[in-house]
Amino acid sequence: MKDGTVFDIQRFALHDGPGIRTTVFLKGCPLRCAWCHNPESQSRVKEYSFHYEKCVQCLKSGHVCESGVRFASQSDSSLSSSKKIDALGEVLIHDRTVINESCVESCPYHAIKVVGEIMNVEDILHEVMKDQDYYVASGGGMTISGGEPMVQFELVKQLAMEAKKQDVHTCLDTSGYAPQKQYAEIAPYIDLFLFDYKATDASLHAKLTGVSNEQILSNLKFLSEIGASIILRCPLIPGINDSEEHLQGIARVAREIPSLIALNIMAYHDMGVYKATEIGNPSPLQQIKTADEQMKAGWLNTLKALGCQNVSFG
Amino acid sequence: MSLNTAIRFTEVYQKYQNEHPAIREIMCLREQFPQSLQPILADDIVAGRYKRELIRFTPHACDELGYCFDEQALRNELDRSGTDESRKQIINDMISFWDTEQTETKVRAAYPLEMAAILPSDNWNSEPGISFPLYRMCGANLDFDTLMQLGIPGMKDVIEKHKQYAETTNGDVIFYEGMLLALDLLSDICLYYAEQAEQLSLTTTNSVRQQQLKEMAVNLNHIHNTKPTTFGEAIQLFWLYSIVSGVRNYGRMDVYLGDFLASDLKTGVLDEGKALQYAQSLWRLIAFTHTIYESRIIIGGMGRRNPSNADTFAMLAMEATRTVLEGEPQLSLRWYNGMDEALLDKAMSCIAEGRTYPILYNDDVNVRAVEEAFALGRHEAEQYVPFGCGEYIIEHRSMGTPSGVINLLKALEVTLHNGIDPITGKKIGISTGEINQFTNFEQLLQAYKTQVEHFVEVTADQEELEYKVVGDNAAYLYSSILYDDCLDNGKSLFAGGVRYLGGTLESYGNINTADSLLAIKECVFEKGDYTLEELVHILDVNFEGYDQALNQLKGVTKFGNDDPRADKMAADVHDHICKFIQIQSERTGLDSYLNVTINNQANTLMGKWTSASADGRKYGQSMSNGNTPSGGSDRKGLTALLNSMATLDPNIHAGVVHNLKCSKELLVEQKEQFRALLKTYFSRGGTQLMVTVVNRSELEQAMIEPDKYTHIFVRVGGFSARFVELSNEVQRDVLSRTLY
Repeated sequence: MKDGTVFDIQRFALHDGPGIRTTVFLKGCPLRCAWCHNPESQSRVKEYSFHYEKCVQCLKSGHVCESGVRFASQSDSSLSSSKKIDALGEVLIHDRTVINESCVESCPYHAIKVVGEIMNVEDILHEVMKDQDYYVASGGGMTISGGEPMVQFELVKQLAMEAKKQDVHTCLDTSGYAPQKQYAEIAPYIDLFLFDYKATDASLHAKLTGVSNEQILSNLKFLSEIGASIILRCPLIPGINDSEEHLQGIARVAREIPSLIALNIMAYHDMGVYKATEIGNPSPLQQIKTADEQMKAGWLNTLKALGCQNVSFG
Repeated sequence: MSLNTAIRFTEVYQKYQNEHPAIREIMCLREQFPQSLQPILADDIVAGRYKRELIRFTPHACDELGYCFDEQALRNELDRSGTDESRKQIINDMISFWDTEQTETKVRAAYPLEMAAILPSDNWNSEPGISFPLYRMCGANLDFDTLMQLGIPGMKDVIEKHKQYAETTNGDVIFYEGMLLALDLLSDICLYYAEQAEQLSLTTTNSVRQQQLKEMAVNLNHIHNTKPTTFGEAIQLFWLYSIVSGVRNYGRMDVYLGDFLASDLKTGVLDEGKALQYAQSLWRLIAFTHTIYESRIIIGGMGRRNPSNADTFAMLAMEATRTVLEGEPQLSLRWYNGMDEALLDKAMSCIAEGRTYPILYNDDVNVRAVEEAFALGRHEAEQYVPFGCGEYIIEHRSMGTPSGVINLLKALEVTLHNGIDPITGKKIGISTGEINQFTNFEQLLQAYKTQVEHFVEVTADQEELEYKVVGDNAAYLYSSILYDDCLDNGKSLFAGGVRYLGGTLESYGNINTADSLLAIKECVFEKGDYTLEELVHILDVNFEGYDQALNQLKGVTKFGNDDPRADKMAADVHDHICKFIQIQSERTGLDSYLNVTINNQANTLMGKWTSASADGRKYGQSMSNGNTPSGGSDRKGLTALLNSMATLDPNIHAGVVHNLKCSKELLVEQKEQFRALLKTYFSRGGTQLMVTVVNRSELEQAMIEPDKYTHIFVRVGGFSARFVELSNEVQRDVLSRTLY
């Protein structure tokens, strides 16, 4: 069975499709969305996650870190393969590659986690099948998410096929950024696509996510044409992509999908900012605050006024 | 006033000391009642409040046994009696008399030498130890259904017939005479409160209240010599009988009150508002008893003779629980597939409001389990009722008071020190071998089991002995009247009367023990990271200087994550303790002897006297609660937790509790998913669930500003409490549990 890098398997997930679900989060994503909630999912490989403030305290007390975290020196400044991070006024540096997982236990400050685990389809499915009777009772199932799960296409396909063999309802949570051929290939094994729609304006899309929306829109059209069930998931970030124009865009796209099941608004939450720091990729959205209730009500009213049905917060 | 009652009680006891226990008891009760009854309060529409006297007969409380006295209060009276030397003498005489004559002392005095050596202390909550005895006869659930149908006069007729038969067959006539006198006393109490209600109605100026008091007087006058015909009369009779009998658990109330309620609603005697007022009044009276750990009311479940009428009462009961903001009664819903969904709906709404009730029981599993564990037929098993902190008995057919506790984690700790308690350095267990002699995990496991078994055997013997002493000393008249088969046998409850004399042993630290054993197995015997001696040293120093070891031990998988390694170990520990307790019935005269993994604060209090354990728990920290993972060690989500909890064999114990802490959002916004979750857990074999709805920041804030958060109730284990009234340790324990 195919191997893959999983960064989390979340059971009793209630927000990634209908019913009680198990969401399999895969590592790797070609997009770099500014608001990313799961920055630890971006890299395709295992990586360290550090509590840097603890690291600073630890290093200052004279410890030598087994995982290679150290204060940056002049000679480190040009190293591109290492991560640099500011914490408590110090510049830290460490290697990307996970060399020694036992340091998670040996770290005296409990400051290290390893994000990512190599698993094969069988292992993942074994975990997923533990809750099969909850899925049946609640109309739930398995959701494959990421990252962008299509980065690990072969794994996703096998996982979905095997799940279907065991009558598990499947959702694919995707940015839509993958070859159309792959969507065509996987569609028979996916009961419901949770398809992201992030920005209407092409240049804004590229700016916010790092990729063009051309392929994404084409895939959405394709899935719509073949009658795939779709829930459109729209992250809205205050002041970044919640313009009137984008809300109109959402409404227009929603209208054009006959097999649309629902429209979910994913209101921005700033929890990703801290997580990004922990893996050494400071978020560009440091200043943006979590969307408040008033804001959310405003978005909802606008979308309803634009004719959107079955809109809710996901 | 109270001292005078104590003096008279003592005089009467002494006068009848060598008489038949039934006569001595009723004569004492006639001193106790109505003196210890409290006045009707302004919002009572049912009469009956009881307050403990200085010296009393307490049949069924969980904190005292039979004839007992409040020594400290008597000593206070001594200080207050001034210069009256003769009065001082009387008080001193009473203290020394009851010191030896109270039932608890008699039980301890009856211990054979070996039992006294193995169970040297009664101070389970303030001394280190593996096993302790408890002195009480709690959990009686009477046949209120028969009482409701026959009333006082009908019951007297039944007893009279038995008495006549006893006269012709040389039976224990005096036993029946005692019962008849007991019912006379109950009758008098009805009239006592009737008169009080009438008097109050004359002085009140509020016309609504006046009407209520008049109705109360009518109800009381009616039931004193006539069987109840209305809901109000039935509730009143039930409640006064509960008070005089001293029972603190009320059994299948939906069955015995359901017909009265349904009939009154149908004929228009009551409307729903008035019915709710009755229930609310009863709920407040129950709360006034302030038992903390008892006051169970059971609704729903298999084996009800009147399911439709009972459901009507069950809905009313849940509404009373929703609206009367108290920690008691402990409303418990027995559920099975096929019951009216409206009940589950109502239950979930009640829980969602943070009431912690009803506690949910799964009859689809439990009835069968009770058949197995108690070795009974289905018909009787259907009449199981949880009492107190969650122990099962068979309503009005069996007794099963927990008269002992065992701390399994302490047993493991002592085993790791070859019988020595590392806290005191004293030998409190048996020598099971030096740890450097254990060459494989199985040897250690066997040593632990031997240690546990040593204590289980003696607690079983102690339970049997306690029953015997109690049976010799008191007739438990009111309980014997409404307990199978005391009337037929002509014997009192604990002197051969009760159909099934069972017992239970409370075990604590089960999950910590299992998690610790697994950590030792993996880190010492499989991976060889430490020798057992090294590990025990690390525990002895409470992990000081061994951060890495602590992390590693914490990192070993734990129960509650749907991981077969941890769940299997938990199942092994569970199977061992349950089955070894169960087989004690073959050796003793008990009809059953079963494990209960219930909880109160014992996980916290006994945890204080338990050293660091290999699951990463530090010295003195709380042990996990019931069959719930150690705080925060369940990390794989709610389904994983429930799957783990459902793996333990339900067929070998008499009650295991499962705590779950959920956010309000889960029960309100995801109600259907929660319903699916609950039903799936039940279909997988889950026996029971108690749900606290709360959010963490509220609890944290409540610790800082308790005055503002008196409305928050949490399920501690075997009881629910206002969060702000708990000790800091228990608050921290509750906070440490994972919130879903």
